[in-house]
Amino acid sequence: MAVRTVGPKKRAIKWNRVGFWLLIVLIAIFLLFPFYWAINSSFKTEAQLRMTPGTFIPRDPDTGTISLTMQNYSAVFANSVFLGTLRNSVVLATAVTTLALTIGSFAGFALGKLRFKGKTPSLYLILSMTMFPQVAVLTGLYAVIQNLGISARPSMILSYLLFTLPFTVWVLTSFFKALPDDLIQSAQVDGATPFQAFRLVLLPLTAPALVTTGLLAFIAAFNEYLFALTFTTIEPNARTVPVGIALFTGQVARQEPFGEIMAAAVLVTVPLIVLVLIFQRRIIGGLTAGAVKG
Amino acid sequence: MTAATEAKPQKLSKAGSLLDNEQRLAYWLLAPTFVILFAVAFYPLGSVFYSSFTNDTFASAVQTDFVGLENYSNLLSVTLKELPPEIDEATGQQVIDADTGEPEFVSSIQVLPRDPRRYREVGTFGFFGKQYVFGATDADFIESIYDTTRFSAVTLFFETLLGLGIAIALNTAFPGRGLMRAAMLVPWAILTAVSSRIWEWMFIDTRAGFFNIIFQKLGFTDGQTPFLADSATQLPAAIIIDVWKTTPFMALLLLAGLAIIPSELYEAAEVDGANKWKQFTAVTLPLLKPTLAVALVFRTLDALRVFDLFQIVFAQKKYSMASFAYYQLIDSQALGYSSAASVIIFFIITAFAILYIRFLGVTSD
Amino acid sequence: MKTSKWLIAFLALVMVLAACGGDTGSTDTTAGATDTTSAPDTPDTTDAPDTTEPAPSGDCDGEQVLLRTFTGAVGQELEMAQNQADRYMAENPCITIESIATPDFVEDRLGTYLQLFEAQSPEGDIYQIDVIWPGDLAEHFVDLNEYGAADVTGDHFPAIIENNTVDGKLIGIPWFTDAGLLYYRTDLLEKYNLEPPTTWDELEASAQTIQDGERADGNQDFWGYVWQGNAYEGLTCDALEWIASAGGGSIIEPDGTITINNQNAIDIVDQAAGWVGTISPPGVTAYGEEDARGVWQAGNAAFMRNWPYAYSLGNSDDSAVKGLFDVSPLPGKTAGQSAATLGGWQLAVSKYSEHPEEAAAYALFLASEPEQKYRAVTGSLNPTIMSLYEDADVLEAAPFFGSLLDVFTAAVARPSTITSPKYSDTSALFFNAVHSVLTGDADAEDAFLELELDYTDSFPDFTVGTP
Repeated sequence: MAVRTVGPKKRAIKWNRVGFWLLIVLIAIFLLFPFYWAINSSFKTEAQLRMTPGTFIPRDPDTGTISLTMQNYSAVFANSVFLGTLRNSVVLATAVTTLALTIGSFAGFALGKLRFKGKTPSLYLILSMTMFPQVAVLTGLYAVIQNLGISARPSMILSYLLFTLPFTVWVLTSFFKALPDDLIQSAQVDGATPFQAFRLVLLPLTAPALVTTGLLAFIAAFNEYLFALTFTTIEPNARTVPVGIALFTGQVARQEPFGEIMAAAVLVTVPLIVLVLIFQRRIIGGLTAGAVKG
Repeated sequence: MTAATEAKPQKLSKAGSLLDNEQRLAYWLLAPTFVILFAVAFYPLGSVFYSSFTNDTFASAVQTDFVGLENYSNLLSVTLKELPPEIDEATGQQVIDADTGEPEFVSSIQVLPRDPRRYREVGTFGFFGKQYVFGATDADFIESIYDTTRFSAVTLFFETLLGLGIAIALNTAFPGRGLMRAAMLVPWAILTAVSSRIWEWMFIDTRAGFFNIIFQKLGFTDGQTPFLADSATQLPAAIIIDVWKTTPFMALLLLAGLAIIPSELYEAAEVDGANKWKQFTAVTLPLLKPTLAVALVFRTLDALRVFDLFQIVFAQKKYSMASFAYYQLIDSQALGYSSAASVIIFFIITAFAILYIRFLGVTSD
Repeated sequence: MKTSKWLIAFLALVMVLAACGGDTGSTDTTAGATDTTSAPDTPDTTDAPDTTEPAPSGDCDGEQVLLRTFTGAVGQELEMAQNQADRYMAENPCITIESIATPDFVEDRLGTYLQLFEAQSPEGDIYQIDVIWPGDLAEHFVDLNEYGAADVTGDHFPAIIENNTVDGKLIGIPWFTDAGLLYYRTDLLEKYNLEPPTTWDELEASAQTIQDGERADGNQDFWGYVWQGNAYEGLTCDALEWIASAGGGSIIEPDGTITINNQNAIDIVDQAAGWVGTISPPGVTAYGEEDARGVWQAGNAAFMRNWPYAYSLGNSDDSAVKGLFDVSPLPGKTAGQSAATLGGWQLAVSKYSEHPEEAAAYALFLASEPEQKYRAVTGSLNPTIMSLYEDADVLEAAPFFGSLLDVFTAAVARPSTITSPKYSDTSALFFNAVHSVLTGDADAEDAFLELELDYTDSFPDFTVGTP
């Protein structure tokens, strides 16, 4: 695995190294502990969740011995709606991310590398589309979708572009801008059109930015709740994971199945993290490619 | 694609027409973005602006009237009044509180204007021995603006600091870096609704919650601290939750920004004898600035519009600007009023966005 | 210049496109709306377990009618709803019933409904509505009295029927009900030689005694009394109970008198504020129903105010208080002055439904005596039909129902019908005022004076008076 180090190599004093690792460990604890608490909670029964003092590992309230319950997980798996929502969310977020990245990289290239009039107003205009609270545009959006007769899935894709597209455009613009100008010029000397220069030379160089932006946009789309809840009202089959989790209930009204919600959250998050772990090599690959050419 | 093929046969001889072509290509490349955004957002955004000038009721056939700027003036009118001292009728002296020994003042409600519009207390403060009350026609909204901007400023500060730290740490090579990068994404990847619940649970006011267990074990408290009910700890708790949740966003973007800084620049700086700090300020920061600006713009946007976190953790104890607009729309069905609040949020965000863009120079070529 | 022409042309194009999107919308509502019903986007292969399977429609000789009902998502309730729908469809082959689950979180459910009403959507036929919604949502529902409900309204609790009647129209048929109860630990009362409290003062004293005793015995997490103090609708319920049981009226009386600013109300709310941090946790001002139940069910509270749902959960196998508690009416200022806030859910039929006749018939079927009995026996849901509280089968399945009849008969309704369509505002003003007293940000005297001014602003026609 080719990695690049910043700054002087092999000159680090031992204490630096210790401090560095301490920092890494602290960061890891800060980032991961709440997730650990969720995992811990997902293996607890209601009584174990509520007992005082709470325990860092699920323990029996009476005897204090370690006792993990699988009831939350089995409840989630028994809930066939949940698996359907998972599939919906993955498909939806993938579609939104692909669209946002494709369209956004066109716009990002134009705004970052081409000379034309009205560049700054365009940037502001794109940003202004996403500056309202979601709840404000929800009603108007719902009216448009109702009147056009678009069904739940395409309408969610369209409405998610409202917050993912400005983001991808802005991030990619800044990354395109950072690439040296002579890259296009040399490509053009070689006979490439500006668009070919974009597609064949610049786009591969922005791979790390594309992966990063895509990842952030994917998760944002995956997590969206308010639009999804509203648009899938009469199409329960199109429901997404956040809506599915909001529909988790206990045996009786008012009871909140906290353990099950935690189990579902763990089940949704873990594959996502594994995915990122797999993508790691690509991200790093992209990084080195960028570093070498730049 | 068609634009690209059209633009092809031009040679470098005519610079002007090359520029024209470049311009045309740019418009074609921007077209899809604009078409989609306009198609999706034109009507909703227009109707928000329009209804903010009406008394439109959500989901009702009640007649809608144009009310001009009334919603805005109801949301934003504020006043400052001095509170006269509370005079004891028998002695003619100012009443002194028996418990605290502090002089007492007339209660705000007696002082704030009631006609033609009623003002409610936002807060009182003393200044050179005199007591003042700050009132607003919609105290909840004014407080939500105050709370949300404070919340945003502090979260952004810590997110940037932490995000930068994490990005730089993860940009160096060490065993387990890949794992750390995946771990870094965990908070961002957990559904917002769920992550707020996890933290709510950790902050719970009994020793079922992590913080009360720890604080009690360490002997700081009796393990019954109501973090989310006590107004002194509410905002800090919200800030911790949001910093945790969104630092990965910042860190990941900055990491990508660091990755495109050519390593030759560091090597050159090293040759010049620059130490690490010098390298950081002379190479890293300036080159990271555009990425940092974009990340800041979008984080500010999200922080000022924060909704889920406040709705889940605070219900109607404490509003963010967006959750205020939400409760106005859903519970009170005041579409016009809620829209006006949203437009104000829009302008506040615009002000911040312009500030960053000017300061950090995103759009300059 | 060439470039600016391009720019203008492009922007014009975008505008036209965007405008088209908006325009087609406003002119062609019905076409668009029917489209969505008849043409689902993609053939869906997933099974939809939260929608009921259409019944075999073999012997239907007329047109098939699809009824969409919006109900709770709760596991057991949903199963019962499915069972009821299947039985109904078997008897009425021309009807297909689709039950759509909606979130338990109230604002989410209300928001979903409102979007459908705003669009005047015919997609929903029957809606499960909260006891406080008939007034605010009246304009979207048919008068069920015109569809035969008038014959059965006499069987239900009169307070609920009155609550559901807006301008002489029956907006919803009562489906199941709810009221605030006092939960107390029988074992601890026995240990400290105490009787179940009938007044707030007794409750305060007993709670203090038990709390001190239990803490001295080593349970440092123990509290005397837990209830709902968060700034939300639940606090309106709790505070209304305090005020009504102290002779302080019911905020705004059914005749439109604003009574909140009276000494009885002020005193009792000040008294309740004194509980915070003494017999109740300081965090109680952030408690909802589940938070209170959490403390209670871990065995860390002597008394709890909650809805009947906590009864069966408290007796579940992993509960620390299983078999150690009982319920009684809430205390009053003096013994017997008890008041319980009325809760519960109704079924209402949308005015925009294409089949109001069939929808009303199904709603009335669900709210009928045999069906309410089925839900009471199977799921311990409190019927709204009075005679069921004396039914042997019901009492066998849920013995504590017997003691509830008096509570429900005397239950206090929130002022949701008289203040409609502004009940949500009315309630939010109220619970925020009470919350500020509980947290010590204001004293009750100022808070209720302010509240009175607020209400006179909101309701210029109402008069200020005493309860």
